[in-house]
Amino acid sequence: MKRYYNILILTLFIAVTSCTDVVEVDVPEAPSRLTIEASLDWEKGTTGNNQTILLSTSTPFYDNLSPAPVTGAVVSVTNNDSGAVFNFQDQNDGRYTTNAFIPILGNSYTLNVNYNGERYTGTETLFSVTDISSITQSREDGEDDEVLEVNVSFEDPEGVENYYFLRFQSRNDRLPELFDIKDEFIDGNEATFYYEKIEDEDDNIKEFEPGDIVDIKLLGISEDYYNYMQLLIEQFESAGDPFSATPVPLVGNCINEDDANNAPYGYFRVTQMVQDTFTFE
Amino acid sequence: MTKQKRSRRLPWLWTGLCLLLGSFGVHAQQNFTISGNVTDKINGETLFGTSIFLEGTSIGAITNEYGFYSLSAPAGKYTLVFSHMGYKEISVPIDLTQNQKMDMEVEEFSTQLDEVEVTAEEPERAILRKPEMSVSKLNIKTVKQMPVVLGEVDIIKSLQILPGVTSNGEGSSGFHVRGGAVDQNLVLLDEAIIYNTSHLLGFFSVFNADAVKDLKLYKGGIPAKFGGRVSSVLDVRQKDGNSKNFALTGGVGAISSRLAAEGPMFNNRGSFLVAGRGSYAHLFLKLAGEKNSVSFYDLNLKTNYGIDKNNKLYLSGYFGRDVFNFDGSFSSSYGNASGNLRWNHIFNDRLFSNLSLIYSKYDYELGIEDFEFDWISSIKNYNAKYDLKYYFSDAFKLDFGISTIKYEFDPGQIKPTGPNSAINELQLDQKRALESAAYINAEHKLTDRLTAQYGIRFSHFNRMGGQPLSIYANDQPLVYNSTLRFYQRTDPVDEVTFKKSESIKKFSNLEPRLSLAYQLNDYSSVKLGYSRAAQYIHLLSNTSSVTPLDVWTPSGNYIEPQLSDQYALGYFRNFRDKMYSLEAEVYYKTVDNRIDYIDGSDLIGNNTIETEILNGESRAYGLELLMRKNEGKFTGWVSYTLSKSEQRTPGGIAGGPGINNGDWYNTPFDRTHDVSVTGAYQFNEKWSFGANAIYQTGRPVTYPNGQYQYEGISVASYSERNADRLPDYYRLDLSATYRPNKKPHKRWKGEWVFSLYNVFNRKNAASISFGQNFETGANEATRTAIFGMVPSLTYNFKF
Repeated sequence: MKRYYNILILTLFIAVTSCTDVVEVDVPEAPSRLTIEASLDWEKGTTGNNQTILLSTSTPFYDNLSPAPVTGAVVSVTNNDSGAVFNFQDQNDGRYTTNAFIPILGNSYTLNVNYNGERYTGTETLFSVTDISSITQSREDGEDDEVLEVNVSFEDPEGVENYYFLRFQSRNDRLPELFDIKDEFIDGNEATFYYEKIEDEDDNIKEFEPGDIVDIKLLGISEDYYNYMQLLIEQFESAGDPFSATPVPLVGNCINEDDANNAPYGYFRVTQMVQDTFTFE
Repeated sequence: MTKQKRSRRLPWLWTGLCLLLGSFGVHAQQNFTISGNVTDKINGETLFGTSIFLEGTSIGAITNEYGFYSLSAPAGKYTLVFSHMGYKEISVPIDLTQNQKMDMEVEEFSTQLDEVEVTAEEPERAILRKPEMSVSKLNIKTVKQMPVVLGEVDIIKSLQILPGVTSNGEGSSGFHVRGGAVDQNLVLLDEAIIYNTSHLLGFFSVFNADAVKDLKLYKGGIPAKFGGRVSSVLDVRQKDGNSKNFALTGGVGAISSRLAAEGPMFNNRGSFLVAGRGSYAHLFLKLAGEKNSVSFYDLNLKTNYGIDKNNKLYLSGYFGRDVFNFDGSFSSSYGNASGNLRWNHIFNDRLFSNLSLIYSKYDYELGIEDFEFDWISSIKNYNAKYDLKYYFSDAFKLDFGISTIKYEFDPGQIKPTGPNSAINELQLDQKRALESAAYINAEHKLTDRLTAQYGIRFSHFNRMGGQPLSIYANDQPLVYNSTLRFYQRTDPVDEVTFKKSESIKKFSNLEPRLSLAYQLNDYSSVKLGYSRAAQYIHLLSNTSSVTPLDVWTPSGNYIEPQLSDQYALGYFRNFRDKMYSLEAEVYYKTVDNRIDYIDGSDLIGNNTIETEILNGESRAYGLELLMRKNEGKFTGWVSYTLSKSEQRTPGGIAGGPGINNGDWYNTPFDRTHDVSVTGAYQFNEKWSFGANAIYQTGRPVTYPNGQYQYEGISVASYSERNADRLPDYYRLDLSATYRPNKKPHKRWKGEWVFSLYNVFNRKNAASISFGQNFETGANEATRTAIFGMVPSLTYNFKF
């Protein structure tokens, strides 16, 4: 809902806007912090044994394309229901991997990271996801009725609160298209979401063409993670626009047990996922 | 026994009261009253703010909103002077031996269309002697001569070049007064509440300058007869319509055109005005393609009928709408509608009354065709008020009255528009409330030099039932999560439904108002003011600029009424026989119960707003200077404001430190410096020129302080709220007006207005957004500037 609303407001604004340009603006610089990208996504129909956790540090805002991987950390995940512990091996490039993870729907998991003498933890529950019912392409839908878009549909289970994270990644592009979805207004219905690119010469955005390939992931997520992603996506797409909310710090589910003021960025999520690949015809 | 005692006491009380009131007039028993109406000689419009005084004395009066005045003086021979900005002064010798009626027609300096003849805002004696302060008045002629963007005269933008008034930048709705929010302004058009003052997201105001007679902005020292908002009152009055001749005025501009017709009716016992304005659709959207359209229109209506000498009826109406349509994907329309029926009744030469019945409404509709649903929302109010003014003596005048407003809030309905819509029907809880008030206010001349205005307003707010309400554990709709350190919504544990006859919550407040003027000498005075005001309805908006889609909500269990206290001190001085004037004021204002929104708040389609907000406070203080040159070929002013506006939002019932760690932070309306220079030069009969120069500190914003990689994107981290600023804003505008040779016998009068907005083509940032370049992935800052240099040409005519 909010998304359509924001798009509308933004469109109104752009419609009456004469010019945008890239400018040099000085921004403040905060001390670097640990960033945890612990996304344990269990693809339906697989064992889910292979999982990777990414650790890095934050960098100054304009420090472009300089990854800051964290090595030497000790990483493990515990199943709080069974007591099973899964240790992740340091790959010395910021990746920590395991091939022994066992995902169980409805179970709760805790992440443990020891880094630089400080202990970081986070807890999350594994939620299931419904299947994608169809993936189609069209021109007449979407914002522009002459431009190709890919449509993803799924049936929302009725009577239960569901939260989803839908991710499109075009193989020709660097940036993904992200959707946070809750079923508040669509409970029990078949819902369709589309990804369409409107040509923009300034930003070098090109429309989809036949032959383009898009990777699609649909994840069943917790309400807390939905709230986190909703704000993350909103700020990623529109922070600073006059009709968007004042940007604020994002609060994930990981804490620093030793120094609360040095809380980590990122999130520890455990989800069930369905994925597919679509090629435009 | 008891009865006897009572009847003995009462005469004492009465005697005391009579003695008290009697002491206000010197030799009250010998006084006689002069009263009447003041109108414009050419078009018969009643005049508000005309100064009437007895030359050589300190006795005087000012006409009210309906042109009525009354003054009293001891018997004797006097010269009665009528004086009004832009009009010829009239002196009439009178021999005051009995009460008399004197209606007066005054004549403008020039009857030429929009000719500029700005004299002192009000005659010297009025400015200095009246305790009224913190008031900005603009003559509609002054407004019309300022250079404007795209040739469309704009009242709201004109106010912004006076001290203490700002906007949130080009392309943002509403205005800010002394560091206050948009919803803290009470905007009245012929007494009807206007909820959104902007067309096209702030590019134009909803006020058609051709239909407006005068406007007055109270930045502080709000008289007791106004209430309901804590920052300011903008009182806009529509023209009554020419009661002498039929007349047409109009203009053709680049974006919009307008036409107004007015004339006498009811056998010259009344008059009418019909004014319309419309934009040409598509014009804005050359770049966006022909499939989209954006347009606005509005209609002003007014008519009046004089039943007899002492009774007059007025009927006025406004209807305005904005319509957006994007390629059949989205459509939106929104606007205000209002109507007011008024009855002026003069009981006698000292007691004037007005009864008003007012309706107003603001609503919007969104159609989202892609997902096949409509979204609608509205606020409606019905208002009855009765205002009286008693001219007790020259030294003592009394305003008093009552008012009641019934509100109906419809925060949102979702309706699927097609059989395949994935969206379920939804109705957010409708809310009802009743806001009532009674007031009494005295204007009291204590000595020849010292005048006081003091009054009190009693306001009462009843949040009425007829809706369900969520109940939360421990009465906490949100709690502070001390582990993760953020505010978290809680789920309701229960729901109670209030019957329509029940009341959810009631509030009442006493709002004292006081101002004092002490005249130091013939050309200078100091003034002092204090006012308290209560605000019971609030506009929910967590964005830096309000949008037309924001929703109003009443006070209730979780939202307390906002309460403001404002103190102001001013120094006023005229120089060189009123040719120059200086107004200097300092103010300090606090607002209690100002809500702010938690990090990540979601207000759209939200039935439980209480889970998104915390109650806080705000404060603003500043210095305002206004130096004017009032007469001559060159007129204009320099205004400067130095100010601070900030807020603090502790955790309260939710626990925790609050927003921004409970520290003070800038409001989005904080502007440290605000300077503007406006000038008009009458070169000759045909040509006149105007210029504005404006400089402002940039708007407070929140910038990123770092980035991290997550989910394949670079996520920006942000720190304290509003701790950074957009670049400073400045621009220069110029205009030239050409009036072809006027032929004395021709009724048709035309003029060409050429204007250049933002002459230096400076790209003032309306916003700066941060994000990744789609192609390279590099972080960058993108500036949005609304107007570069905008030339425009408008043709205005009068027939």
